[in-house]
Amino acid sequence: MVKYIVKRVLQAIPVLIALSIVVFLIMRVFSADPAPVVLGEHATREAMDAWRDSNGLNDPIWKQYLDFVAGALHGDLGTSYYTHTAVTTEIMSRFPATLELAIVAIIIASVVGIALGVVSSVNKGKFVDALSTLLALIGVSMPIFWLGILFIILFTGILHILPSGGRIDPIMQPVGGTGLFLIDTLLSGDFEAFGNALVHMIMPACALSMYSMAIITRMTRSSMLDTLNEDYVRTARAKGLPSGKVTTHHALRNAMLPVSTVIGLQLGSLLGGALLTETVFAWPGIGKYVVECILKSDFPVVQGVVLLIGVIFVLINLVVDIIYAFLDPRIKYTQAEG
Amino acid sequence: MDKNAISRKTFLELVAATASAGVLAGCGSTRAGSSSASGSGDGTYADTITFSQGSEPRGLDPAFVDDGESGKVMVQIYENILQYDTDTCDVVEGLCGLPEVSDDGLTYTFKVKDGIKFHDGNTCDAEAIAKNIQRQLEPDRTEDMPYASFNFGSIESGTGVESVEATDSSTLVFKLRAASTPFLANLAMCMSSPIVSPAAFDTAMENPVGTGQYKFVSWTKNSNIVLKRNEDYWNADKAGKTENIIFTFIAEAASRVTALNNGEADIIDGIDEAVVDTVEQGGSKIFTMDGMNINYMAFNTQSEKFKDKAARKAFAKAVNVQELVDSLYNGYSSVANSVMPTWMAAYDKDVVQTAYDKDAAQKELADLGITSVKCITYSNPRPYNGKGGQVLAEAIQGYLKEVGVDVTIDTYDWTTYKTKVETEEYDICFYGWNGDNGDPDNFMNLLSDPSKTMNVARYQNDEYDALIAKGLQTAAGSERDDIYLQCEQIVAEEQPWLLISHSKNILGYSPKVSDFHFHPTAVTFLYDAVKEA
Repeated sequence: MVKYIVKRVLQAIPVLIALSIVVFLIMRVFSADPAPVVLGEHATREAMDAWRDSNGLNDPIWKQYLDFVAGALHGDLGTSYYTHTAVTTEIMSRFPATLELAIVAIIIASVVGIALGVVSSVNKGKFVDALSTLLALIGVSMPIFWLGILFIILFTGILHILPSGGRIDPIMQPVGGTGLFLIDTLLSGDFEAFGNALVHMIMPACALSMYSMAIITRMTRSSMLDTLNEDYVRTARAKGLPSGKVTTHHALRNAMLPVSTVIGLQLGSLLGGALLTETVFAWPGIGKYVVECILKSDFPVVQGVVLLIGVIFVLINLVVDIIYAFLDPRIKYTQAEG
Repeated sequence: MDKNAISRKTFLELVAATASAGVLAGCGSTRAGSSSASGSGDGTYADTITFSQGSEPRGLDPAFVDDGESGKVMVQIYENILQYDTDTCDVVEGLCGLPEVSDDGLTYTFKVKDGIKFHDGNTCDAEAIAKNIQRQLEPDRTEDMPYASFNFGSIESGTGVESVEATDSSTLVFKLRAASTPFLANLAMCMSSPIVSPAAFDTAMENPVGTGQYKFVSWTKNSNIVLKRNEDYWNADKAGKTENIIFTFIAEAASRVTALNNGEADIIDGIDEAVVDTVEQGGSKIFTMDGMNINYMAFNTQSEKFKDKAARKAFAKAVNVQELVDSLYNGYSSVANSVMPTWMAAYDKDVVQTAYDKDAAQKELADLGITSVKCITYSNPRPYNGKGGQVLAEAIQGYLKEVGVDVTIDTYDWTTYKTKVETEEYDICFYGWNGDNGDPDNFMNLLSDPSKTMNVARYQNDEYDALIAKGLQTAAGSERDDIYLQCEQIVAEEQPWLLISHSKNILGYSPKVSDFHFHPTAVTFLYDAVKEA
């Protein structure tokens, strides 16, 4: 297993190098010159040239790339042109918001998606199955930002029962801790703030979970239908086991293997930053931030965030593969299989 | 099982350990505003006012930022040597009294007021103030101080501050390279000039320390900034009335309106006429003030088609500016009959712009052989043009089509556009300006600026340049007013720009909130603001 993990990590290196090169070139070729943005309306041509020089932007592009890689290998992703703050600091101040939203959204999507998938599969062809399919279709088809706007109109604009955006009432926001407000407020015993954070979480998490929930529902249903036709399930039923026990203990557990892959990949996507959801709900996460930085040609930030997202994707894929072994004892990551 | 395999039990233990580490790390957190959560007032007023703006500040060190979003927060935290009057750009006392000025206009001597402390407890004396200016003068100035050259000049241009010294703890002496009437107005600006505690120079971008009515508490990136009233503020007449001021950042204007109508925000800005009805229908109120800006179309005066003013005037005759402004901006912009807004200087009564005359335009353009025009513009809404440059360009395109001229439009996002106006060859382009300091020079010198990104008409006129240079050194008064009237007349006659509009600033606010001071420089002073509980 350890050899397998090491091998997977090594395989990730060329992927990350390719990713960093592509992002680096895209930013340099297609983005506007950052100098006028950074130095402002009153900057002279000489000041802009001097600034480009001091930030290495007049160097050959290969040298700029190597400087970036050398810094990244030492944990230094550079400094934001625009705010003068270390890119790692900028990322880490926003990433907990994205992480918290992604985790809650994937929990909602998984719980509801698996439940709907199971119910749908055991009631194949019935009204419940059709309803579940319809819900999944809506979830896949409906743009999240549009759903978010509908949520805001209904729950904020008309009913006035949920806040339109943000993570928490700023006066209540916890300082320090993990940066995950639900956990920080709970552990500090500030239940008023916990409730406030939870209320702020409801709409963005529900909106964000819709697409993943639809995918998980369909995957669970499909996988369950395959499993329910297996011999061991038929045997379990023939032995007189209760239908519920056969479904949950025998069929569902085995059906979870492909579902866990989907959940892992969906979580990876959500951790990359849910741009539209974050924008609609003024959620202070990393997706919204990176788009702002693209528009400002803040190269170091964009490069750093994309590299981080790449690393997250690779790690999540690796974790999903490792989890396989624990969900299905038949799977062994031996050297021969690796 | 492979010898390298991890057992299921070990795996679960690892997961549990990781979760526990996260949980333990969460212990010990406190509220950002915990000390004020119980409220402060006498029950009449709420203890918190929330101001919602479109994006977060670039930073909070005035030496290193140039964006209005930073300015809105900084004016609550910092103060200047001199300040603008509450509702106008008249300069009044600030940390110092009004200066003594030498006869040659080159030496300014300020007296720093007694007993002023920074939020960190350090004394705000002449030496501390001098250090703020000195760090922005050459050779200490760095390229990423966007307003340093504007406010304090440069050696190369022979303008601005040559030196600043604290001759004693309360006396500050500026020596200028050349007399400059806008100098005092520049000292009151919210960029570059606010005074930071020297102990915080290295950290003020994210942890600002000033002398103002509000102290910085926290900044949650992309989300909010929390400020708390400075209980030791030196000037009792202008002390903060509300205990907490919170700035929140909501990108979409429609979302800000929803937040306002739902009570999550008390004041919002950066909105246009499209949402006014929604604000009012939600029970909130609208505040408007004439903006300090100009929205214009520039002719490239160095292009073959528009190097002669006859062609520029013929083009201008094709556009019904009154109709254009009425239809696009629904009464929240006024037709620009002068470069400067009329509240700054009512030159529009003495200056005559080219009148709309479709038939004359058609004939003159045909005679000049102008049948096609290349236009570049911006896509984003701008403070002086809430509809964005493309909508405006397409409206102009429609007028020109009626007189037989085909206008092709290339549109760019604002960041790219600022490069394009320098590098592209175009016949016309769209631009605008937000005034910095309320001084006429700040508007009129745009057509004298050697930079193509400032002077997008690429206009050169020695007579005009001489007037600008003279105006810069002439003391405020009728003689100076006359200089800028002449500049306005040259612009009308030479037509490097087709003036379009001056937009209004629009704020939405809760009916419970009162006494905020929106300033022409587009910042809102909140020290007086209160909100009914």
